[in-house]
Amino acid sequence: MQQEEQLSGEESLNLINRMIQEAKGYSYETGLAAIIYGFTAIVCSGLSFLREKEIIQFPFHPFYLMVPVFFIQSWVQYREEKKKLAKTFTDEAIDYIWIGFFLCVLAALCAGFAGIHYIQISFIIIVAALAAFLTGMVSKMRYMIVSGFICWALGIISFFVLNPYIYLLLTAVAIVIYVVPGFLLNAYFKKQHHGR
Amino acid sequence: MFKELDPILHSQLRLAIMSLLISVKEAEFTFIKEKTNATAGNLSVQVQKLKEAGYIDVTKEFKDNYPNTTCHITQQGIKAFEEYVKALQEYLKVGQSR
Repeated sequence: MQQEEQLSGEESLNLINRMIQEAKGYSYETGLAAIIYGFTAIVCSGLSFLREKEIIQFPFHPFYLMVPVFFIQSWVQYREEKKKLAKTFTDEAIDYIWIGFFLCVLAALCAGFAGIHYIQISFIIIVAALAAFLTGMVSKMRYMIVSGFICWALGIISFFVLNPYIYLLLTAVAIVIYVVPGFLLNAYFKKQHHGR
Repeated sequence: MFKELDPILHSQLRLAIMSLLISVKEAEFTFIKEKTNATAGNLSVQVQKLKEAGYIDVTKEFKDNYPNTTCHITQQGIKAFEEYVKALQEYLKVGQSR
């Protein structure tokens, strides 16, 4: 591109439009972080269900397994961020949505210390639905919008399942909002960056 | 009376750089080079001109032991870009009505 080339008004507007579309279309998201979280949430929910049904013994609440995974996921995220050539406003907005979600989850888990069980899982499912819906709206990813509605429906169902089976609903939520989009993002990433 | 088009922005490469930077929070030099298809030398000169005009901020740091340049648009740059687009639209409107 030659810098001194003078443009007509129309050419300038076309150039602006083209560059804005180029920048907005940029993404560097492997989906790996979502896949890691998704499978961990499935394992933790499954173990919690088995523990509550007294099928297995577990020395601590299985959801504490999320703590080391959080650090692994943060490392994966950090490495991914370093490879990004541009940070878009969409990326930033999605980061804030999920930070808000995790803070809500941490706050909800404190209900366990007050001796409250299960209802906080319903709350987590509803907040997860909100995070998925907002992510879908911001990123224009239709799948996430639909997954938000699915999770809201699961959230409503969970009010009627305030027993160990609620962990199975949580497993379904993990599949819908983490595992499936993680693999979708990974496939898109491979197609965009490796032409596969 | 027409507003004069900003000479800093009214050049193909500088306008392309500004259009990219207005759409993202920040972008690396390699990203801008890839999207504009400009040569590194030419791009450096134009980035410097935009920096001197106060339209963009340039941060130089090391990333994995390699020098890395990151650019982001300033408030002044956003204002100048908006005024430029407004002026362009006025020109085009008059052109179409003739």
